[in-house]
Amino acid sequence: MTATTTSASHGAGQPAERRPRVNARRVLLTVLLAFGAFTMIIPFLWMILTSVKSPAELIEFPPSFWPKEWVWSNYTEALDAAPFATYFRNSLVIATGHTLITVFFGAMAGYALARIPFRGRELIFLGFIAMLMIPTYTKIVPQFLLVKFMPLFGGNDILGQGGSGWLNTWWALLIPGGLSPFAIFLFRQFYLSLPRELEEAARLDGLGEFRIWGQVYTPLVKPAIATVALLTFQDSWNNFLWPLLVTTRDDLRVIQVGLAVFQQEGTTQWAYLMAGTTLATIPMVVLFLVAQRYFIQGFATAGIK
Amino acid sequence: MTIKPPGTASEAASAARRRPRRSIPAGRKLRRAGWLMVAPALAHTILWIAIPVLATLVLSFTDYQVFRAPRWVALENYVELWNDDVFRKATWNTIVYTFFTVPVSMAVAVVIAVLLNQKLRGRTIYRAAFFLPQVTATVAIAMVWLWMYNPQYGLLNGLLSMVGVPRQIWLGDPSLALWSVIAVGIWQGIGMKMLIYLAALQNIDQNLYEAASIDGASKVQQFFSITLPMLKPATFFVFVISIIGAFQVFDQIYVLTDGGPANATTMMTYEVYRSAFQNFRMGMACAQSVVLFAFLIVLTVINRRLTGGDEK
Repeated sequence: MTATTTSASHGAGQPAERRPRVNARRVLLTVLLAFGAFTMIIPFLWMILTSVKSPAELIEFPPSFWPKEWVWSNYTEALDAAPFATYFRNSLVIATGHTLITVFFGAMAGYALARIPFRGRELIFLGFIAMLMIPTYTKIVPQFLLVKFMPLFGGNDILGQGGSGWLNTWWALLIPGGLSPFAIFLFRQFYLSLPRELEEAARLDGLGEFRIWGQVYTPLVKPAIATVALLTFQDSWNNFLWPLLVTTRDDLRVIQVGLAVFQQEGTTQWAYLMAGTTLATIPMVVLFLVAQRYFIQGFATAGIK
Repeated sequence: MTIKPPGTASEAASAARRRPRRSIPAGRKLRRAGWLMVAPALAHTILWIAIPVLATLVLSFTDYQVFRAPRWVALENYVELWNDDVFRKATWNTIVYTFFTVPVSMAVAVVIAVLLNQKLRGRTIYRAAFFLPQVTATVAIAMVWLWMYNPQYGLLNGLLSMVGVPRQIWLGDPSLALWSVIAVGIWQGIGMKMLIYLAALQNIDQNLYEAASIDGASKVQQFFSITLPMLKPATFFVFVISIIGAFQVFDQIYVLTDGGPANATTMMTYEVYRSAFQNFRMGMACAQSVVLFAFLIVLTVINRRLTGGDEK
């Protein structure tokens, strides 16, 4: 905004003036954006720099920006101080599980909603849209109760009484969050954009619907699969509240909950905590930088349609 | 009545024209396949979303402490909430948090999106930098901010000390804590809004700008008379999802302040969490989440009225 204002006030220039004005504007724009971008990543830089500082350097005030010596052993010591490796593995298993479930069932439902005419389809689609709008907190308490009273699990009887149900189990971590209406919605939009002729030809050739879905259409929506997979993985990796509620055992903890527990237990060792935080952050940062295009496509699709 | 028969007749006729022999059995097979493919997702959504939402509503009229059966208390929970100072405080904090994080980060996001929506060296790098806080976990990010806000050794007080400003107790001072939390919310919220605006900007017809330039409109005039109006649908969408997101702020509160000091940063979601999972008052927690939901519905409807005139 500042950049455009400035250029406008210099505006109404003759053609001769044009080049220098544009250049000045460019420089200002670049400076502005670079400053903004730097401000945005300061916390990430600070996290990494803190994670390799020595204990003595951490309690200097004002703090040094660049570490005087890089104490990489903070990472190995952090892994000894708390089972971050286990937390990391748990998060990885859950995020991968959610992604596989969502891509398979979400794509299947999205395909049916987009391409197969059956009675009640519009109604079901509207239902998914309505469920898409439900905020987490309007369903979290009964979801927890459903997990706790899951019949015939964790010592529960057929009425769900007497035991702990799915609490402290992989089921609770994997199943309830396994499929989101948002993924179904995205898949439907993607399948909808494909041409009709393919399915008509395939049906005339006598292919079943499942094979049309799997062999004809799905190979054409690979970018959509990448998008939904990445968004699901991200959501699952970053989820905090649900794993916090349904697990108390250390060996089932995900990394986000592990971090919070580590921070709350006793004296906070900042270098270790920042090392753990770096571990919790790096996978998403790398994934994002590698697959930026798909993330952006996902949000753009969600935004426009 | 009089319209229907011709309609069905012509549909049948056209169907017969296309595939005279196969149409009926194929149609049935098709319908069955459609249902089969939707069934798992439908069952999952009904069990884990539809039923919980209804249950939330029903349980909000009960006194339910998990280990005893729910007892119907009609509106008692809501009456208690109405008189509950802490929940009032939480509601107010949530509104303040939303009122400041959403418009500020939307304004910043629109400006950055406009600046980035041109040929520019390093454009993807800037875009990635602004979006990065969005892809990383709120808990992890809040942990870093907790460290930066640290009153003794934190980066922010270090920077302030360089310009001679005394130390601030960012998260421990009741008059400052909510603003510190809001700052994190703004910082994290810019990325996604920027991205949606960028996508919307790319759909604006460039001829509009050319025509405006020929008419002598300045860049600023173009921004207000072309860009902003054309971004209206995107703005509606961004606004709705941002409000829903902001009203559900939880992770950073959990990490940064635990709702304190003296409930200065507690939020509606945090009270839901406390009622349900610290005091085990499930009915009360449900009533609180119904109030939260009601706020969201009202805000969405108001926004639709305000911006939705030409939005379809």
